Amino acid sequence: MFDIELGENGDILCSGRLDAAQCAKAQDFMDSISGPSVLDFSQLEYISSAGLGILLKTQKRLVEGGAGLRIINVNNHIHDVFRYSGFHSIFEIETE
Amino acid sequence: MQKTFTRSLDSLSDIYEFTEGVLASGDIEDAVRYPVHLAMEELFTNMVKFCPDNDNQILFDVAANDGNVSVAITDFDVDPFDVTASRNVDTEMPLDGRVPGGLGLHLVQQMVDSLEYDYHDRQSTVKFTKESG
Repeated sequence: MFDIELGENGDILCSGRLDAAQCAKAQDFMDSISGPSVLDFSQLEYISSAGLGILLKTQKRLVEGGAGLRIINVNNHIHDVFRYSGFHSIFEIETE
Repeated sequence: MQKTFTRSLDSLSDIYEFTEGVLASGDIEDAVRYPVHLAMEELFTNMVKFCPDNDNQILFDVAANDGNVSVAITDFDVDPFDVTASRNVDTEMPLDGRVPGGLGLHLVQQMVDSLEYDYHDRQSTVKFTKESG
């Protein structure tokens, strides 16, 4: 189960498991955002390379427009995935 | 424990539930569970993407003992694809040089403790282990 929605404070709230079967849902939402954006991963348990691809595609689009993604409340396991992928150099990432 | 799954991304939730059932019986910590689930997804989706027209089911064999997990995934009537080969992923590449994709097997190779590939009689088997500690 994966969900993505806009929170009351304007942050994008992700929850559950973002695997390859959930990517269409995530991509549709991310395609709708513009400008500087915050992704709150406090309720996101899991992400695979399919989810990383969505983050990368979105970041490239936003950076071209002078903005970008900040990803906050990242759990230790997802943080490991980011680290092995070299995402720390291309995203602003904050752990829990 | 063995189980076969249909070659479709829609099988991922069933694979997760099957694996969680096995891991629950083996006292497996979260630091082991996550890379096991990730490796299973990446290896399975790789098989789905590279042989989309193959009607054979994919066989999973998962064992959990003393905090450690071993997994074998077998794909039938397929061409060889060695998942242990180096992926040559440049994780230092700046954003403008990156393209989505290609990280899955790199992550598997980084996050499991052992990874083996066997091919014979048009049958591919990938085995990996993840140990506690």
